[in-house]
Amino acid sequence: MAFREINSKMVEATVLPGQRLFSQRGAMLAYRGEVSFTPNMQGGQGGVMSMIGRRVANEATPLMSVEGSGTVLFGHGGHHVQVINMTGDTLYVEADRLLAFEGTLEQGTMFMGSQGGVMGMVRGQVTGQGLFTTTLRGHGSVAVMAHGGVIQVPITPQRPVHVDPQAYVAHHGDVRNKLSTALGWRDMVGRGSGEAFQLELSGNGAVYVQASEEKL
Amino acid sequence: MYGAPGGGPTVYDPLTLPSDDNVNNYTFCVELKGSQWFLQKGKMIAYYGQMDFNGIGHGRLDRLVRTSFHSPLHASDWVVAEGSGKMLLADRAFDVNSYDLEDGNLTIRSGNLLAFQPTLSLKQSIVPGFLTLIGTGKFVAASNGPVVFMEPPIRVDPQALVGWADCPSPCHHYDHGYMTGLMGGLRAMTGVGGASGEEHQFEFVGAGTVLLQSSEALMAEQATGAVPQQAGVPGGGGGPTGPGQQAGAPRLPGQLGDLQRRFGL
Amino acid sequence: MLRVAIRVPLHPQDLSEEPYGRYLRCVAMFRLQGSKVLAVDMTGDAVKAKNGSMVAYDGQMDFKKLSGGGEGLRGMVTRRITGEQMTLMEVKGHGTCWFADRASEINLVALQGDKLYVESSNLLATDSGLRTGTSFTGMRGATQGNGLFTTTIEGHGQAAIMSDGPAVVLRVSRQYPLTVDPGAYIAHQGDLRQSFQSGVTFRTFMGEGGGEAFQIRFEGDGLVYVQPSERNTIAGEV
Repeated sequence: MAFREINSKMVEATVLPGQRLFSQRGAMLAYRGEVSFTPNMQGGQGGVMSMIGRRVANEATPLMSVEGSGTVLFGHGGHHVQVINMTGDTLYVEADRLLAFEGTLEQGTMFMGSQGGVMGMVRGQVTGQGLFTTTLRGHGSVAVMAHGGVIQVPITPQRPVHVDPQAYVAHHGDVRNKLSTALGWRDMVGRGSGEAFQLELSGNGAVYVQASEEKL
Repeated sequence: MYGAPGGGPTVYDPLTLPSDDNVNNYTFCVELKGSQWFLQKGKMIAYYGQMDFNGIGHGRLDRLVRTSFHSPLHASDWVVAEGSGKMLLADRAFDVNSYDLEDGNLTIRSGNLLAFQPTLSLKQSIVPGFLTLIGTGKFVAASNGPVVFMEPPIRVDPQALVGWADCPSPCHHYDHGYMTGLMGGLRAMTGVGGASGEEHQFEFVGAGTVLLQSSEALMAEQATGAVPQQAGVPGGGGGPTGPGQQAGAPRLPGQLGDLQRRFGL
Repeated sequence: MLRVAIRVPLHPQDLSEEPYGRYLRCVAMFRLQGSKVLAVDMTGDAVKAKNGSMVAYDGQMDFKKLSGGGEGLRGMVTRRITGEQMTLMEVKGHGTCWFADRASEINLVALQGDKLYVESSNLLATDSGLRTGTSFTGMRGATQGNGLFTTTIEGHGQAAIMSDGPAVVLRVSRQYPLTVDPGAYIAHQGDLRQSFQSGVTFRTFMGEGGGEAFQIRFEGDGLVYVQPSERNTIAGEV
């Protein structure tokens, strides 16, 4: 039940009885068959605690669960959609950028601050998303939105990658993240906030960077 | 002759530009040979040759308007291009494509229609915010992302709808299912849990084609103009037009405030 | 009946999962990854790039803000008027640096001693071998503040310019002059004369957003880059 890319801005999913999809509310463009869209009170499998965690974090992205029998077209705001197929590892992605994902994936939230101390908290503000990042683990398909599409940059132990927090979309692998300032970067006063910081990712994996330094 | 930028993108000139076809996904080239095309204001980006652009309703275009353009409320958005040469059309880096209508009819959101040949007749659809093209000829439409064609039966989020051809106008589909039961009651009363955003779609049945785009944000601009304030005209019977918040209480079908918001006014 | 002639879309930005997918062209150390991201491989040299346009890098990089506009009083005035948007920064180091700007499409232009004129806010990066300057084309900007400043680039090297949607390159020759909507103009090179034309007919454009009251006419011998959008390049823009 993977997502099929219709074009760069739309994906199609087949919904079968017994299988469940989650998507951002309002992301359905069209559907055929008997499909129901239910706002998800718990925000997924995280349970009530997860929902509360989100409220605390001021996370604005409500999800809905999609069930039934039919096909559904997903898209949102004309944004570019990228499909990532997970094969067991964990994807870390900003909740705002999640368009839809299969229910076979285990959802969770991660407090980014745990890996970066105080800087992590600042980064939360910087990415504008709150302190929590959504984690998706297991096997399944994820459709992610980005402004203008994404490029994948590999992360290796010898070559850590530095990313503009506004351009960060997601990452997977065994990766440590750290928010830091770079001498000179602070001079780079760009549009919006966050330009004074960079997100440093090290370890083994890959980061998805969007072709824009503007959040969606 | 100036050299090409070293193995880079194709350099076009009046001879190599396509006639009445796409240059790339976002740019369309129209060839005029002493002929005319209707086009939306501000959508011409460049042209070779000699061209005149006149607003509709200016004197000598009257006959053309009488036969081809039947939407006085939209007249200020359109101009007639005439002359000889090749003209490039584009719209906000949206995907543009041309379509041929053969003795057919197509209803399209006014903001998505870019240009059309005068052999087609433009009328204002009874559905607010949409225009209907009838006849045989070519037109150019812009969309956020390539247009996706689907056949009924299908239910479509109103904001994703670009238009439809041949099949009957859509009807409303309201999903009240989730409103029932304990959780439903809770949502209705407290608004907690919110709405899925998918409670209402346009439902299409019959034989034809439905045109969709990925856009939960309506293509702004294009004042569609108010419909005549007459009884019986959808959207014209009065009623508030403010952008309503998605309240917990279910809206009754036909309630105008909802209709107008859903149709994109 | 609706008959559709569908163009098979060639989307260079449909990126595969393959890391470091190299697409399209490889021009000196500038290369495009997809059509909206510029990757520059550096081994100690420098590039000038639009402030804030860097999205990622690996290796070791240093960033320095350059004072744009030029030296002296004229430079100060230019900077004040153009604001932060026009500022360039210098990036130097070892590794790869990725640049992008609001998902704009990127075009690479190779200069061989000639001069390129670019709308200042449409310049993404130039390599260090090129000289940049500013020229005022005030008249063109009269009505909407559009096009007040043009950046000139000359020398030998690579420049990356951007557009809202893939740019179309149009050749101007003595036989075929070209008329362009100012909001669609990105850049030009060659031996071209610009003039501003407005006619009785264009008066009908006024009062409507998205339509210019005048057009730019190019004559001579050269190339003009236009974008499929009427986005204001300076005053009205983000």
